[in-house]
Amino acid sequence: MSFFRITLVRSGIGLTKRTQGVLKALGLRHRMTTVFYPVTSEVAGQIMKVKELVEVQEVDKPLTRAELRAERRPDPGFYLERPAPR
Amino acid sequence: MLSRTIRRSILDPKISSSALPPTFLLPLRARCFNTTTQHVETPSAGLDASQIPSDSVAASAEDIIKPKGPPRRKAPPAPAPITTPLAVDSSVKEMLPLLAVQPSHYINVHIHGKPYLVTQGDSVRLPFHMPGVIPGDILRLNRASSLGSRDYTLKGTPYLDERIFECRATVTGTEAEPMRVKETKKRRNRRIHTVRSKHKYTVLRISEVKIKQLEEIGEP
Repeated sequence: MSFFRITLVRSGIGLTKRTQGVLKALGLRHRMTTVFYPVTSEVAGQIMKVKELVEVQEVDKPLTRAELRAERRPDPGFYLERPAPR
Repeated sequence: MLSRTIRRSILDPKISSSALPPTFLLPLRARCFNTTTQHVETPSAGLDASQIPSDSVAASAEDIIKPKGPPRRKAPPAPAPITTPLAVDSSVKEMLPLLAVQPSHYINVHIHGKPYLVTQGDSVRLPFHMPGVIPGDILRLNRASSLGSRDYTLKGTPYLDERIFECRATVTGTEAEPMRVKETKKRRNRRIHTVRSKHKYTVLRISEVKIKQLEEIGEP
């Protein structure tokens, strides 16, 4: 089963209640929120209603919140080479 | 005489209790003597697991687990060595020796994504407290976006290959900011809520900035 990976790229502030309602139904609270939905015609219709605000990709499996955060986290850039005696 | 009989019957086990009048007629003191006050003592929180005689040790161990705070974070360990071959541009091959020969170099290291422009001997106060390190730990900084000297600069897209340079830093200690007090209050309400902050910051000293030669990297 494939999934839509939907990211809100433009905010819904100032748009109609109908459009904001679609964003609420999709769970897109603020910019750069990412949600995953299975590929169905209903979800495709919701995306078509807000297609100008949203970026969509098709992926195989949905990511959890932790995995999404790990994606965004930059790598530390250092590692402990020689620890002092503790 | 009655009181003496009661007292003797309580203290002397040979005298049978049937010689006494019924309990409700006895004076209060005797009643208290005769009956043991029944109450269940709940084990206090500080009671050790070993003191409680438990049939199932596992169950008691589960119940009496002390709540731990968030787990202590450790400094990242050494990553696995990179296996993909180093792709070196022709310009790099040409000018890396020239860069390496220059007397002094700077490097733009990235720690948690934030750049720090440093050279050997610099002291860097990070804007956060690094968990899991103590003064004396040596860190190897492996993310750099540019490495340069007076005449040459080597830029990475977006980062340089970490096999080209070596940059080490020693943790010198922890600093704290001066105590700051934030007062919050609602309008037309005299109650002032005070929040005190005194954050800690880790200080590093860049002990080494070294550019490797082409032979060391493995390029002819």
